[in-house]
Amino acid sequence: MRISCPYCGTRDVAEFTYQGDATITRPDPASTDQNTWNAFVYDRANPAGKHSELWQHSGGCRTHLVVERDTVTHVITSVAFAGAKRKPVSAAAPKRKAPARKAATRGKAPS
Amino acid sequence: MSGRRVSDRGRIDRSRSISFRFDGQAYSGYAGDTLASALLANGITLFGRSFKYHRPRGVLTAGIDEPNALVTVIRDGMREANIPATQLEIYDGLVAESQNRFPSLAFDIGAVNQLAGPVFSAGFYYKTFMGPVIGPLRGTRFWMFCEWFIRRAAGLGRADHARDAARYQRMNAHCDVLVVGSGPAGLAAARAAANAGKNVILAELDPVAGGSAKWSGETIDGKPAAEWAAAQAEALAEMDNVRLLTRTHVWGYYDGNTLAALERVGDHTLTATPGEPRHRHWVIRAGTVVLTTGAFERPIVFPGNDRPGVMLAGAAQRYAAEFGVLPGRRIALFTNNDSAYAAAAELSAAGAEIAAIVDTRQVISAGVRDLAARAGGELLLGQAVSATKGGKALTGVTVQRLDPVTGTASGEKRTVAADCLAMSGGWSPAIHLASQAGAAPKWNDDLQAFLPPDPAQPWLGAGAFAGDTNTADALRSGRNAGARAAGGRASRSQPAKVEAPKLDPFPAPVFEIRPTEGSSGKALVDHQLDVTAEDVRLAHREGFHSVEHLKRYTTLGMATDQGKTSNVPGLAIMANARGISIPEAGTTRFRPPFAPVSLGSLAAERFGDVSPDRLTPMHDWHVDHGAEMMPAGLWHRPRIYGLPGETLEQAYVREAKTVREGVGMVDVSTLGKIAVKGPDAAEFLDRVYTNKFSTLPVGKARYGLMLREDGLVLDDGTTWRLGENDFLMTTTTAAAGKVMQHLECLLDVHWPDLKVALTSVSDQWAGAAISGPDARRVLERAVQGTRVDNETLPFMGIVYGEVDGAPVTICRLSFSGELAYEVYCGAGHGTHVWEALLAAGEPFGILPYGMEALGTLRIEKGHVTGAEIDGRVTARDLYLDWMLSKKKPFVGSAMMDREGLVDENRIRLVGIISLDGLPLGGGAHIVEANSHAEPNESIGHITAFCYSPVLAKYIGLALVKGGKARHGQRAFIADPLRKRYGPVEIVSHHFFDPEGSRMHG
Amino acid sequence: MVERESPLGPAYRPGRHGNVAEAAGVTLSETRPGSIVEVVSWPGSEKAALAAIKSATGLALPNMPGAGVSKKDKAGYGFAPRRWLIIDGREGVEQQLQKAVSDKIGAVNDLSHGRTAIRVSGPRAEWVLSKLFAVDFSAEAFPVSNGCSTAHHEIFAQIQRTGKNQFDLIVFCSFARAFWTTLCHSAEEVGYEVS
Repeated sequence: MRISCPYCGTRDVAEFTYQGDATITRPDPASTDQNTWNAFVYDRANPAGKHSELWQHSGGCRTHLVVERDTVTHVITSVAFAGAKRKPVSAAAPKRKAPARKAATRGKAPS
Repeated sequence: MSGRRVSDRGRIDRSRSISFRFDGQAYSGYAGDTLASALLANGITLFGRSFKYHRPRGVLTAGIDEPNALVTVIRDGMREANIPATQLEIYDGLVAESQNRFPSLAFDIGAVNQLAGPVFSAGFYYKTFMGPVIGPLRGTRFWMFCEWFIRRAAGLGRADHARDAARYQRMNAHCDVLVVGSGPAGLAAARAAANAGKNVILAELDPVAGGSAKWSGETIDGKPAAEWAAAQAEALAEMDNVRLLTRTHVWGYYDGNTLAALERVGDHTLTATPGEPRHRHWVIRAGTVVLTTGAFERPIVFPGNDRPGVMLAGAAQRYAAEFGVLPGRRIALFTNNDSAYAAAAELSAAGAEIAAIVDTRQVISAGVRDLAARAGGELLLGQAVSATKGGKALTGVTVQRLDPVTGTASGEKRTVAADCLAMSGGWSPAIHLASQAGAAPKWNDDLQAFLPPDPAQPWLGAGAFAGDTNTADALRSGRNAGARAAGGRASRSQPAKVEAPKLDPFPAPVFEIRPTEGSSGKALVDHQLDVTAEDVRLAHREGFHSVEHLKRYTTLGMATDQGKTSNVPGLAIMANARGISIPEAGTTRFRPPFAPVSLGSLAAERFGDVSPDRLTPMHDWHVDHGAEMMPAGLWHRPRIYGLPGETLEQAYVREAKTVREGVGMVDVSTLGKIAVKGPDAAEFLDRVYTNKFSTLPVGKARYGLMLREDGLVLDDGTTWRLGENDFLMTTTTAAAGKVMQHLECLLDVHWPDLKVALTSVSDQWAGAAISGPDARRVLERAVQGTRVDNETLPFMGIVYGEVDGAPVTICRLSFSGELAYEVYCGAGHGTHVWEALLAAGEPFGILPYGMEALGTLRIEKGHVTGAEIDGRVTARDLYLDWMLSKKKPFVGSAMMDREGLVDENRIRLVGIISLDGLPLGGGAHIVEANSHAEPNESIGHITAFCYSPVLAKYIGLALVKGGKARHGQRAFIADPLRKRYGPVEIVSHHFFDPEGSRMHG
Repeated sequence: MVERESPLGPAYRPGRHGNVAEAAGVTLSETRPGSIVEVVSWPGSEKAALAAIKSATGLALPNMPGAGVSKKDKAGYGFAPRRWLIIDGREGVEQQLQKAVSDKIGAVNDLSHGRTAIRVSGPRAEWVLSKLFAVDFSAEAFPVSNGCSTAHHEIFAQIQRTGKNQFDLIVFCSFARAFWTTLCHSAEEVGYEVS
C-alpha cells in the first residue's frame, strides 16, 4: 500500500504507523461521563468498505493524517492532515450504537 | 556430443565452450545454453525422479514453467535445490545434481512407490494419518512412526544447512511505466512509452530479451524476428530513460502499483565481483504497468505423458531455434491446435525426422496442411496418443482414434516409433500478475483459456497475455498499450510488418485422452506433484468439488511451478467430472510469488543484522573498559564491568556496594529525552501528566507519571523546566518512542490549537548519573562555573556549568536512593566528560556500574521501571496514587477510577524476600501453598530480583494480589520452568532508606 | 572548545573499499557541520519563521514542502509541515536562530550533537541510496536543494540533495555507526572511497 502524504508525497506504507479510527472525537476533558469515555476509548466500528483512519507518517514528517480508505480494496480516496480541521463524521459513517453487533454481522470472521 | 546439436541455428555462442558437471559427470555446452539445452545436446533426457512415485522424468518445457527438471546446484559448498534446469544458465565450473533419487538417478529404490500407486492417491496422508489412534497402524501415532521415512522419500530437493555466503540486495525503483516481459509486445510497448519521454523499466526473466521472437522463426520488418528483437532491445538499452532488466522475473503485484521482482545478477557466473549481489530484490513503484507476459503452452493429459522425451511442442521448437538442439532425432507431435505445426516445421528444418503429427481435430486448414507436408511424417487427424512406450526414455507412442464427444480413444492401436513426443494442448495467457492485482479471470471459449480480469490497478495488457494470437496483433497492441501508458493515444499507423505462417489460433477443446479399455498407466496432470487425472476424479468422488478444495486435497498446482502447466487441464477434468463448464468450475486466485524467490533476497542487506545497534556516545569506552554489553531494546548498555574471575552476581554486588558506600557512575544516555517547547508547553504537560507541571519553577525538575487514555500507566520520568516555555522531558529508555508517538498524536489530532513543539533530543545529550555519598565531592572537583552545594543545587534542582571545558547541565535526582546527580552534556562531548568525571572521582574510588547494579539499587529502593509498568498496572497498583492530581483533568483521569481498576485486591506492588537464601526468578509466580506437584493458584508474580548487598538477602519486587495487605505474610515462589520453589516473605517494596534521607542529604 | 567526537568510531575507515576494479562509484564522508538546528513555527507563522531564518543565517528558504537552499558551507530545507532543518559549518548558529525566532513565532532546537551528517557523492549515489530508502532519488523527482524525511527501517533520516550527484544525510547519532556500516556495505558493489 502507498499513502500520499500531503507534505512528503507518496510513500510506502512501511513509513506509516496506523493510529486508529479517525472518526472518534476526544470527549471534553472535564467530562466524567463514563459512557462517553468508554465509547472514545473502546467502541470501534469494523466496516468492510470505506473507512476513515489515522495514520502517522512516523518514518517521514511525523504528522498524523486522516486517510479515507476502503478496507476491502485498500483504495485510498483522500488523505489530509489531521487536526487542521477535525472533519465531522460523514453522514455515511455508521453511528456507533451497537458496534459489537454491527461488527459481528458485517464482516466474516478473520481466518 | 551426441549429434543433437545443429550447426545453423540458435543464439548460443559456439566459439565459447563451457564445461560443467551433472551428477558427477563432466559435460560441455556453449555459452548461452541452459542446463536443459546443454544436457539435451549431450543426449541426456532423464533429468530427475518425480515427487511421489519416483517416476523417471525428463524436461517438459524450456522455461520458468518447468515442473520436472529440477536440479540442485552446488556452489561454494552450499546446495540450492529445486532450480529448473530450463532456467539455469551454464557456466564454467557449474556443478548440478538431479534430485529425488536414491542411490542414483538411473536406479532408484523409491520407484517401487509406483507399484503401490493406488495407495498414494489423493488424500493419502489425510486418510492414513489423521484422526484418533485406532490400533497400531492408524492415526497420528502411526504418522509419528512413519514421518522420518516419508520425509526422506518424499518432497523435492533437500534444503541445505550451510550458511549462504552469497550477498543479496534490495533496490527501490520508481518509474512511469513498467513493462513486464520483452516479447514483441513488450518491446513495442517499452519503445512507445520511452519515445514519449517516460521513464521505463522493461523486465525480462530470460537472459536475452525478445520472448517468442527468439524462436518463432518469423520475420519482422524484413529481419529474422530474433535479430529484430535484439536490435530493439539494444536500442532501448541505450536510451537514458529506459532500464532494461534481464534475468528478472516480476513475481508480486501489490497495492499502490508496487511490484516485486527478482534479478538473478550472479547465478550465471562462478564468482562475483566484490560487493556484487547474487540476487537483487527490486521493489518497483510504477505509474502504469504494461503486462506483456505472454502465454504458457499446456500439456495434454494422457497415460504415460510424463515419460522422458515427452515435452511441449513450443519447448521442442525453442530448443531447436533458440539453442540449436534437437530434443529427439525422430519426433512425433500431438496437438489440438495449429501451433504445433510451426514447431514441426522448425524441428524438421533443423534436421529432425518428423515421425507423425497426431491431431485431435478431424479438419485442419490448407495452410497447416502445407506446413505438415513440409515437415514430413504422417498426418493422423482425428486421432490421439493414448499411451507411450519405453522405460526411462521414450521409444514410441500408441495412437488410436479419438471420439471427439467423449474424449475417449479407442479402436486399433498403432505404434509410432519416436524418441521425442512434442505435444500442444493450447495456450494459457500468463495472467498471474493480473490475477494478483485484480478480480477473477475471464474464460474465453474460442481460446479455451482464461484471459486477464479487468484491472483494479493501473495496468494495461498486450500480446499473448491479452489474448493476441499472432505477432502482428501483439506488436500493435503492445505499441498501443505503451502509448496509452505514457498518457498518449493508440496509434493508427501500421506496426512493424510480420511474415509468419497463417495459423488458426483456436484449439479444439480437448484436455484429456482416456483410453476405453484397460488401464494403460498414469495420466499426469500436475507433473511436479504427481497428481493424476484419476486423483482429480477421486477428489470429485469424495466431495472435494471446489477448485480451492481440489488444490488442497490433491496438491494440484502447488510447489515451485505453482501449476503453470497443470492449472487449466486440472480444472477441465474437474469440470468434466462435475458436468459443468470450466468457467463454472472457476479458477484459484493467483498469489505471489509468480515464481520462486530466494529468501536471501527478501532479507537483503539485513541478513544477520536484524536490527541496527543503537550506541551511546560512551559505547567504545565501555567496551574498552571491560563492560559486558547487553541489549536494551535497540540500545547496547553495559551490564557489568566485571573483573577477571568474577561472576555476574559478584560483579554487580561489588558495583552496587561501591555506590552505597562511596560513589559510582552509570551511563544514562539512553533515557528518552523530548524537548517540549512553546507558550502552551506547561498547559500541555498538565494535560498529559497526572501531576502538575505549570507550577514547576524554572530551574527545577519534577517526577511525573503519564497514563494512557484507558487509565493504566504509560510511563514515568522526570521533566525539567529549563525556561518559562522550555521543558526537557525524560522517559524510560524502552518507552521513549511510544511516549513520543502518544504525545504527537494528542497534539496533532486532539489539541491542534496548542502551540507546542515536540522534538526528540534523546541523542543530543550524553548523560552520566553519579550516585553515592561522595557524589557531591566528585562534582565539586569536576565542575567549573557553578557551585553544587545543597543550597545552589537542592534535590530536583538544575545548574549549568562546565566539565573540563565542555558545557554541562546538572540535575540532582536519584534513582539509586543515594545522593545523586545526572550530568548531561552534548553527545559529542560524552566520553570527554565521562572520563573527566571519573578522573575527578578517583580519590573517592569511583567505579562505573552497569545495568545489573542499577537494577539492584532501584529494587532496594522500590522504584518502578518498565518491568512493573507492563501496560496492565494502575497508578494505585504501584502506590503512586499520591501523584494523581484531583485539581485538573489529565489523560486517563476519566477512566482510571473504573470499578475494576480501583479494586483493592488487584495485583499490587510489594517487596519479596527469599527465605531460603536462594535467588528468586523474574516472572516466577507467587503462590500461597508450597507444593511442587500441584500448581497452586497464582496470587502474583515477581517482576525483578537481585541479591541486595545492604540487606544481604535475595530480594525482589512483585505484583501480588492485595499488595500492602499482605505485608509480613509468608508465601512461596513457584517457578516450574526453572524448578524453583521456596518460601518468601512479602514486605514493603521500600526495602532501604524508606524516608529518603540519603538522597536528600 | 572541546572537540566533538564522531559517533562513527572504528567504522570510519578512510580509503578505497569494495569493488576496486573501477573508479569509486561513490565517496562517503562525515561532514561534521558546526551546527544542525531545527526551527519550528506555529501555524500561521511560517513566513515569519522563514524571515527569521533568513536574518539569522542568510538562507532564503522557499515556503514549499521539502524546498531548500544549498550553499557551500550552509544549507536548509523544510522536512515537515512548519519545520526546517538548518545545517551550517559554523558552530553556535543555534543561538543566532534562538534570538531571531521568538516564542511568538516558534521554537528552535539545537541538534548539533544529536545528529550526524553523512555525505554520499559520486556517479552512483542515487543507486546506492536507492538500496536503503524507498524514495525516488531521480533529479526530476528530487531536485538539487530539496530535502525529505524518510527512514531505513528503524533509522530515521533527513536527506538533502546538495549537488547533481551529491546527497547529505542527517541521522540520529546513536544510529550513525549502524547506518554508516550499512551504507558502506551497500556501496561495496560500486566501489567506494571514504574521505
